[in-house]
Amino acid sequence: MEDLIVAFLRSGTPLVYVTLAGVIAQRAGIWHLGLEGMMITGACATILGIVLAQSVLVGLVAGALFCCLLALLFWFVVEVLKANQIIAGLGLTGLGLGGTALTLTAIFGSEGAVSAPFGLPRLGAAFGAFGGLSILVAAMPVVVFACWLLLCRTRFGLRLAACGEHPFAARATGVNPVTVRLVALLLGGPLCALGGAELAAGSLQIFSVNMTAGRGFMSFAAVIFGAGHPLGATLASFFFALVGALGIRAQLTYGDRIPSSLLLALPYVATVIGLWISARMRGGNTAFSRELGQQ
Amino acid sequence: MTGRLYPVIQTGAFILLALILCSLIFAAVGLSATETLRAILDGAFFRPNALSYILRWGLPLLITAVGVVISFRAGYFNIGAQGQFYLGAICAAFAAEWLRGSPAFVAVPACLLAGMAGGALWALWPALLRVKAGADEVITTMMGNFIAAQILVHVTSGPLKDPSGSGQQASSRPIEAAWRISDSSGSSLIIIAIAALVVLLGWWLVNRTSFGILSGLAGRNPVMVTWQGAKVQRIAISAFVLSGALAGLAGSVELMGPNGRLASGFLPDHGFTAILIALVAGMSVIAAAFIALFFGALTSSGLWLPVMTGLPSSAIDIINASIALFITAKAGVFRGLLIRLRR
Repeated sequence: MEDLIVAFLRSGTPLVYVTLAGVIAQRAGIWHLGLEGMMITGACATILGIVLAQSVLVGLVAGALFCCLLALLFWFVVEVLKANQIIAGLGLTGLGLGGTALTLTAIFGSEGAVSAPFGLPRLGAAFGAFGGLSILVAAMPVVVFACWLLLCRTRFGLRLAACGEHPFAARATGVNPVTVRLVALLLGGPLCALGGAELAAGSLQIFSVNMTAGRGFMSFAAVIFGAGHPLGATLASFFFALVGALGIRAQLTYGDRIPSSLLLALPYVATVIGLWISARMRGGNTAFSRELGQQ
Repeated sequence: MTGRLYPVIQTGAFILLALILCSLIFAAVGLSATETLRAILDGAFFRPNALSYILRWGLPLLITAVGVVISFRAGYFNIGAQGQFYLGAICAAFAAEWLRGSPAFVAVPACLLAGMAGGALWALWPALLRVKAGADEVITTMMGNFIAAQILVHVTSGPLKDPSGSGQQASSRPIEAAWRISDSSGSSLIIIAIAALVVLLGWWLVNRTSFGILSGLAGRNPVMVTWQGAKVQRIAISAFVLSGALAGLAGSVELMGPNGRLASGFLPDHGFTAILIALVAGMSVIAAAFIALFFGALTSSGLWLPVMTGLPSSAIDIINASIALFITAKAGVFRGLLIRLRR
């Protein structure tokens, strides 16, 4: 049982951080499909920081900076150039995945995996079975609470939500949605970097090309599943992580009977089912297609 | 004339912007931007047999891209082309396995049709979730891509596994030699004919049928189309299924043609590139035919780069991603900025 909880926290924590970044963007009115690209950038920067500068802090700061740079680029394209959020988000993801692969090749000569001599600080032996978890796992509830406080209990959070729900109303009260969205995306930068850092340096201490494997998109699905609320989205990403952890457990127990690749697909199937349930409960838009950037 | 030329100039301007971003990224990781871009162009257009490579990579992309055009025009972001492409290849491979021993004129069309059916089915469930429950198709089709990739891993290492196969990549038994619609160089008259047929039918469907006109309107103004009494749900499902069928056809063409066997994780960027082609082509089927050949050239260059110049193939991913970032931007913004500056 303890193993299961540890596995669950390990796979859930990166998702939660990235999901929070998605929630902030979602509330400000931006569909953030670039989460995957920012997450892998954070993961890559953390491992490279540890390998090249022998310092976790350098890695985390570099990750946050690069993620903020990507967020700035995304904001410029989406808000200033008015590009389609979905396609631009996919482009940002491609930039993160391709850029990290390119960086690895430029530094180490090949697109392989880079392993670091040490990872994020651990909780330590005092926590027993949970001692192997990183401090970011322990910090996660605090960050979730802080996000909830910021989004649901402050004037800034209300303004942010207004920009997402009714930009004209926000503008009428003197709030500029374009600026607020910049702040929202920049807040998401460090969160994505932490998510990527936990994924790469939390337990594995390794970075490999494409290692996020769709976790960013899963986080985005958690945002939608959780109706854009920080706590709801956190619960949704816990749910996806739980399905993933149960899948790994089932693989260990029934691996000879159930093909492992189908168990690996479980979190994605859960995402689809979760989306279906949430759409049914909230009465999704069945009639109308979305407005398309037809040229 | 200016009305027709303007979107072309706009697209060109944003592609230039994308290339500038690429150059910055190349420079940031210590590659020479001009040399990298020149090497990419060399690999794309000026290597021996360039045309044959362009056709090999461009034509399957074109088939998928026509499907993407159909669903995007209807206003549905079916970004599951990759999954539908995989399912098409998987179903064609199963058909090829069951039909082993039958003559080629039965087996080849049957496999291609099985591929189309597979792709269509993989597009059908997100379509139903969309119109019946209102689940957003962007996420469901994207999750469909990941699930399809796992199904491909499962199929190539389980039911269709080549028992004599060795090496790291799991793959199925090879397609019978007599059934291959091209050799492994991948450009043959049959594939050219299939792609030409897809373009012609796609153009006719989009521009000359009531489905095409209504779906184009539904993409721009669904409220109006609904009030006029058109069945928007039916249009939506048809658009999804058609785009899935074309992606599936591309998958089976890749299987029966250049690949010759099903390998796990083959062509992972196919769907994304096809979406880019549709967007760069401005949702026009005819333009997509030319743009697809350009992206086919880029794809072939990506395989050439590491071998001939030692440059990483992810350079091509960066170019594609930057184009995706900028391609839907609206140039009208610049005019707005100019007006504001003049004040």
